Amino acid sequence: MDLMSNLALGFQTAMSLQNLGLAFIGCLVGTLIGILPGVGPIATITMLLPITFGIDPVGALIMLAGIYYGAQYGGSTSAILVNIPGEAGSVVTALDGHAMAKKGRAGAALGISAIGSFIAGCIATVVIAALAVPLTDLALRFGPTDYFALMVMGLVFAVVLAHGSVLKAVAMILLGILLSTIGSDLETGQARMTFGSLHLADGIDFAVLAMGIFGFAEVLRNLEGGEQRDVIKGTMGPLLPTRDEMKRSIAPILRGTGLGSVLGMLPGNGAVLAPFASYTLEKKLSKRPQDFGKGAIEAVAGPESANNAGAQTSFIPLLTLGIPPNAVMAIMVGAMMIQGIVPGPQVMTESPTLFWGMIASMWIGNLMLLVINLPMVGMWVRLLKVPYRLLFPAILIFSCIGIYSIDNNPMDVVFTGGFAIAGYLLIKMGFEPAPLLLGFVLGHLIEENLRRAMLLSRGELSTFAENPLSLILLMVSAGLLVLSALPTLRAKRDEVFVED
Amino acid sequence: MTDQTHPRPGPGRALLSQDRVAGLTLIAISGFALWASSDLATGTLRFIGPGMMPKLLAALVGVTGVILLVLSFLKPGDAMPAIPLRGPVCVLAGILAFALTVQTVGFAVAAPLLALLAGLADKDMRWGELLGFAAFMTVGCILVFKVGLNLPIPVLIIPGIIQY
Repeated sequence: MDLMSNLALGFQTAMSLQNLGLAFIGCLVGTLIGILPGVGPIATITMLLPITFGIDPVGALIMLAGIYYGAQYGGSTSAILVNIPGEAGSVVTALDGHAMAKKGRAGAALGISAIGSFIAGCIATVVIAALAVPLTDLALRFGPTDYFALMVMGLVFAVVLAHGSVLKAVAMILLGILLSTIGSDLETGQARMTFGSLHLADGIDFAVLAMGIFGFAEVLRNLEGGEQRDVIKGTMGPLLPTRDEMKRSIAPILRGTGLGSVLGMLPGNGAVLAPFASYTLEKKLSKRPQDFGKGAIEAVAGPESANNAGAQTSFIPLLTLGIPPNAVMAIMVGAMMIQGIVPGPQVMTESPTLFWGMIASMWIGNLMLLVINLPMVGMWVRLLKVPYRLLFPAILIFSCIGIYSIDNNPMDVVFTGGFAIAGYLLIKMGFEPAPLLLGFVLGHLIEENLRRAMLLSRGELSTFAENPLSLILLMVSAGLLVLSALPTLRAKRDEVFVED
Repeated sequence: MTDQTHPRPGPGRALLSQDRVAGLTLIAISGFALWASSDLATGTLRFIGPGMMPKLLAALVGVTGVILLVLSFLKPGDAMPAIPLRGPVCVLAGILAFALTVQTVGFAVAAPLLALLAGLADKDMRWGELLGFAAFMTVGCILVFKVGLNLPIPVLIIPGIIQY
């Protein structure tokens, strides 16, 4: 099958009335929840996971993809309108987007971010479709040594990309892998560190951990700040950017898409870097770099496109290799497992309708966001004006329903509360939760592949050096780690993140 | 990652610097995990046992903790930020109340309990508003999740009388 017939199959699946409806609802509720200040895509997907339970796998995944894009888009909307980015990716959007909004150009900022995201989404869909087949072929030739080395590289990327101390990021990754070893041993079935608890025998549920240390801990942090929301008052301005603004934005959109598509594919959450990279690039190329930070439309168009392209191509490692490159994709793994699908190279060959249907629905989801969200901006603004003292109990109720419904088990809710406190304390100590989550996500796969590799090599660690692919991957990882610890480069890295 | 209300404590010679607390915490976690995994067989490199990864990782966490601790004595770092109690206590109480009641009494009691207890976390809360909002959220969620989506979440259980 070639690219065209694959995509045709996908669109045929995604265009059915039921699936179109599911994509629509997904985008709508995804935006609705994702727009809440401080609620990022991870929390949004976890909260909304239960609504996909009663649907067939294809429909459920299409809806989830819709929720994901909706959450992304909602994050940018709250970044522009209230200057509270829901996730790392929209931090950059908040800079110039909010500045534009203050100048009465909120409409244009939202418009260009929707248009940019749509163009990025279209291109990224084609990139995924084109790369899916060759990468899946490659993945099928990967042995346990290669897998292990690839995941080590992903974790090293996560360390390099984390803000702040490298040592603390390493500690969080190790702690994440350590948490993943709780539960029954893969081979012997022996209970590990469960203290006789039956609940722990299955291990810690990813959604529970993520909701605790990301969603709830974020609520606790926001509670400290009191009311500091600076919802845009007065006029939104027209939604469509002017002809001149369009002309200035088109090149940043395309460059942002390129950057985002490439970075999104990297293991270890490369996508998070995309908007920062795009911002820096556009500022360098701009004839008026002094306008950046004061409401330059290029600084909204480029990073938003990069963010969306990266969000989409980060599906590539998941769908072809079965390795989630970031925490959002890890939630997707959980959602797929609930539907009985194990992500990996076999998905494409075993259930092509599901695979290509989901890819086609990504494009449809982007189109829907453009069509449904722009006219609804007025409603989103009103939602954003609800005070936080009412928003956070609502966030907590939705989250508790979501967590409870995953397994109909109140113990999960208790554990989420525990992780919330732990996550809050970790943040206070200067640790970042993102690397912990990635370590946890990859923990099982790392252990499994390491054990298999060691069994095959009869306990010879040299197998990682004898195997050319794993040798290259491990050398790249080591190089990156050394580079990231060098003082000059560290300063550069901090500069990228502290661009605001 | 810094909170906006308190200005970030500058570098100082505080006894409890952020890195020192962080290092000690990692060492404590490491010790606990080493103890918890002590009953697991380590195995050999060829036949890795269930205990190897937990022990190895726990030890490595401990090593990072020791490095953080030592570094905290060598150079001044940020002081440990203050941890307010009200928010975490109220939110945790709300979550626990929800977990305890959702299966025994039902969502119609668990949700308002959660909203009210957690709502106390905000200094700006107003009783009338919070009560009304809790009622609104509860009814709304019952309509969406139970009536609309048919999730198997119990709404109200009074033994012998109602089981919905």
